[in-house]
Amino acid sequence: MSLARRKLLSLIALLGGPTLFLLVFFFCPLLIMVIYSFLEPGLYGGVVWNFFHLNYGRILGWADTRYEKFDPVFLMIFLRSIRLAGLTVLTSLLISYPAAFWIARMRPARRDFTIFLVTLPFFVSLIVRLFAWVLILRPTGFLNQGLMGLGLTRAPVEFLYTDFAVILGMTYVFIPFMFLPLYGAIEKLDMAQIEASADLGATRVQTFVKVILPATTPGILGGAIITFIPALGNFIVPSVLGGAKVLMIGNLIEQQFLSARNWPFGAALSMMVMAAVLVLLVLQLRLARARREVRT
Amino acid sequence: MILRRLLGLYGLLFLVFIYAPILLVVVYSFNANTVNMMIWDGFTFDWYRQIFGLETSVTESATYIDSTAQLYASIRTSLVIALSTSALSTVFGTALALAVARYRFRLAGLYRTLLMVPMIMPDIVLGIALLIFFITIGMNLSMLTIIIGQSTFLISYVFVTVSARLAEFDTSVEEASADLGATPGQTFRKVTLPGIAPGVMGGWLLAFIISMDDLVITYFIAGTGNTTLPIHIWGMLRRGIKPEINAIATLMLLFTILIAGIGLYLRSRRQK
Repeated sequence: MSLARRKLLSLIALLGGPTLFLLVFFFCPLLIMVIYSFLEPGLYGGVVWNFFHLNYGRILGWADTRYEKFDPVFLMIFLRSIRLAGLTVLTSLLISYPAAFWIARMRPARRDFTIFLVTLPFFVSLIVRLFAWVLILRPTGFLNQGLMGLGLTRAPVEFLYTDFAVILGMTYVFIPFMFLPLYGAIEKLDMAQIEASADLGATRVQTFVKVILPATTPGILGGAIITFIPALGNFIVPSVLGGAKVLMIGNLIEQQFLSARNWPFGAALSMMVMAAVLVLLVLQLRLARARREVRT
Repeated sequence: MILRRLLGLYGLLFLVFIYAPILLVVVYSFNANTVNMMIWDGFTFDWYRQIFGLETSVTESATYIDSTAQLYASIRTSLVIALSTSALSTVFGTALALAVARYRFRLAGLYRTLLMVPMIMPDIVLGIALLIFFITIGMNLSMLTIIIGQSTFLISYVFVTVSARLAEFDTSVEEASADLGATPGQTFRKVTLPGIAPGVMGGWLLAFIISMDDLVITYFIAGTGNTTLPIHIWGMLRRGIKPEINAIATLMLLFTILIAGIGLYLRSRRQK
């Protein structure tokens, strides 16, 4: 057996199993989900194998009144999810940016340890971290006890089951997603440029806006996108911290699948999430390419 | 100077924000108050004793024994799934990483890009896609479907971890081994595998931790009767919070920190 032939065989041996596995259990499921989103929902769950565009119509605004009605509530929930995910990105950016700066300025040994400290909670079970916030935000929780102890409020404030709780919870859970890309960008900052900017008479604010911010934009965008994606479709955080009051698209999808048993409609809702994610990724690719062209 | 001080102060606040909630759970897992778990009422080990089945007098014993049995069952389920999933995805992820890094073939770039997709895919989308798929092909939801489902995205995590290790691993050592007359099999067993072992271990640990904690994908394809630990705790939260959740959470914390510590130790050894 020739060497080239043997190499080819070992390559096929390495690739074959995993490729087959991913084709069958990753790409096929996604394909079937796309197909399902265009099928007619059966009367008692299940599907009727007819082409049916009204799953999307019900969300986006066209309807055939003999079947599914358009209800703006679905679009509203989708938009609310985008808003909550966007706010999550914003708060985690505001919280992580100074922190990344703080760590980037440390001595190397201390820096590695601090980064370890920051990423460690990421390995703590999601449900445990959310539970901790339930303890803090409950009417009898830590925060309310503190506020009442200080005499700031007389009755417990309703923190739990609000948009605030959901954004706080998602921010807390997704901070490492934002922190690490940001830190990567800030650590690479050229200190000489910042000093040069100061020497040339720029104020701190000017230096920040004209030098630091543009140089760290790739980190900001990267962090924003990988925070936004899990935040958009999330249904665990809203169901633990938002209760029945703050519904996001993830909760809606879960309902359609597990209680309403309208799978085609649930699949169409999931496709909306996918579409939003794809738009974001394409945008980011474009921006990255544009930046490369500017530089060369 | 002032700015630097402010930044230091901010850094401390940041760490408090990250750690205070978790520490709160640990501290209150020793709280003796059975009525309002947020009011400190002395130190106790009762909740831990309950979990380990040493004490049944604290709550109505019948329901309590039942819930402990469920807790143990969920831990067992989680461990079986995590061990199988991490093994499967480590083998597949490592094979892919080796193929892409060591063989020049036209599709290597495509593989590298496409293997990012399972990591970026929103987990709810993957979860329901798998649910529809398993039901459509008539596969009963079981531990097997959970293992398959989790592996689809964990392969990518292992791939990335092992690829990073392969990228910094010197190919000339492998060539030297071949020049000295080792067969490709010998080179792989004696040179390549020991060289990438830390990366493979790291990938395996990462897959294990993520699998133990996965809630969304597991939730959709678990069917009935396959309650994993995160799903069990989620259910407990929904039924109303009981003090023993603090103790369970603390034990989970210890377990994760232990595993993360092992991972970190491996990484620091690799850097030397």
